[in-house]
Amino acid sequence: MERNRLQRVFRASWPRLVAIGILVGIWQLLVVVGVQSGGAGGAGEALPGPGDAIAEIGYLVHIGVLVPALLQTLERAAIGYALALVMGTAIGLAVVRIPVLRAGVGSLLAGLQSLPSVVWVPFAILFLGDFAVYFVVIMGAFPSIAMGLMSSYDNVPPLTFSLARSMGARGPGYYRHFIFSATLPGYVAGMKQAWAFSWRSLMAAELIIGSTASTGLGQILDNGRALGDLPEMFAALLAILVVGIAVNDLLFAPLERGLLRRRGLVPA
Amino acid sequence: MSIALFRRPAVLTVEADEAFVTLAGVTKVFGNGKRATTALDSVSLELSKGEFVCILGTSGCGKSTLLSLVAGLDKVTSGTIEIADGRPAVMFQEPALLPWLTVRRNVELPMRLRKVETDERNKAVNRLLSMVGLIDFADHRPHQLSGGMRQRCALARALAQDSELLLMDEPFAALDALTRDQLHDDLNRIWQETGKTIIFVTHNVREAVRLGDRVVLMTPRPGRVAQIWDVQITRPRELDSFEVSGLAHEITARLRAGAAGNGAQ
Repeated sequence: MERNRLQRVFRASWPRLVAIGILVGIWQLLVVVGVQSGGAGGAGEALPGPGDAIAEIGYLVHIGVLVPALLQTLERAAIGYALALVMGTAIGLAVVRIPVLRAGVGSLLAGLQSLPSVVWVPFAILFLGDFAVYFVVIMGAFPSIAMGLMSSYDNVPPLTFSLARSMGARGPGYYRHFIFSATLPGYVAGMKQAWAFSWRSLMAAELIIGSTASTGLGQILDNGRALGDLPEMFAALLAILVVGIAVNDLLFAPLERGLLRRRGLVPA
Repeated sequence: MSIALFRRPAVLTVEADEAFVTLAGVTKVFGNGKRATTALDSVSLELSKGEFVCILGTSGCGKSTLLSLVAGLDKVTSGTIEIADGRPAVMFQEPALLPWLTVRRNVELPMRLRKVETDERNKAVNRLLSMVGLIDFADHRPHQLSGGMRQRCALARALAQDSELLLMDEPFAALDALTRDQLHDDLNRIWQETGKTIIFVTHNVREAVRLGDRVVLMTPRPGRVAQIWDVQITRPRELDSFEVSGLAHEITARLRAGAAGNGAQ
């Protein structure tokens, strides 16, 4: 029994392990070849290897820098994402239910979604002060949520709405049993995409805005660059990558998979 | 509110001239100006309570349009539709089950929307699921059911709607012949048990003769009532019985004559 479970875990995870192995191998190869920083006229410091980066992570945890920074960043991400979720849902619902808004705001949303949210950083710094980070995250994430809701609504079979009308569904019952339920898969897909956007927006914001208030992962990376501390930079990069993947794999991916399986949209 | 599932009385207590559903001069025009097409032209029809009426016609004769007008999903261009008992329940050609709900949840949805109490709701759902033979599949999801079972579930849901009038839009057209035959038997039994008034739209002549108290033949472009037959054959009827075949043959002949007439125009 126990053995079977191990086998199953192995079967599910080996492609990913191999991929990571290849990536680490290439990294190590670059170190062996002797890639140096600085380019023309730079300091010429050697590229740290995967081992160095992991050792640096251990050190940063040990001196009490990494964990508070990680928590700080996660807090920003959570608050920004929650605000984006509220805003994206409200706008998405409004656009779906009010035809005039759809014509006006629909295409604008698509444009906003393709706009790299880092362009908001200069404006946010000028106008918003401490709230700047959240603003950038919100602008990065909310269009995906609104668009997810919108496109999901468009894909609901018209018969579902005929059914709702023939049952006389209206008000909260109509929203709960028909609109929200029917659009849930696209909404969750939008949430998942919005996480990716909000995470990258947050990193851009932290890198550019710098360590004015308190230190996050982005500021560790920027700090490493400023001090020419390459292992610190790579440690921060690894941490950022791992958090981004972990939130997706542990939170959003299972949520989406469970939802689709219950509806018979993927094999059980 | 309760779910009325009383037995059909042996003798109809409703007087014959007391119409339950009245269509008077119902006309439906789609589009306007030169592009306008008349889907229905002055259709008049009366149904008494508990009657099973089949509306028969080739595709494009406006029979589905007629049904969606009665269902209140579309508005008449002129004429009137009167229903003695509020909003009718509708069953579509596709089961239109909500894929995120179990069979039980799908069936109880109309009662949830009406805010029927949990106890009463559970009792009613169990009774309906037994009636359509799905009680053992109550916790399955629609994608785990066969086509016939999905339509049974849709039927149970329509019955849960607490409406005396049930509208059915070619509900068995997508099923294989054996499953359809079984569902005809079940529908006949359920109609007799519940005493619902049914308008059943179909393009299948034998199906109409097998199920209906009356068969209303419609001709296309524009949709009009061509002829109405009273079906006097004793129930339950068999699809290949001599009587059903005989009347189906007669109606088919009339249908062909109508088509030939249209072709000559």
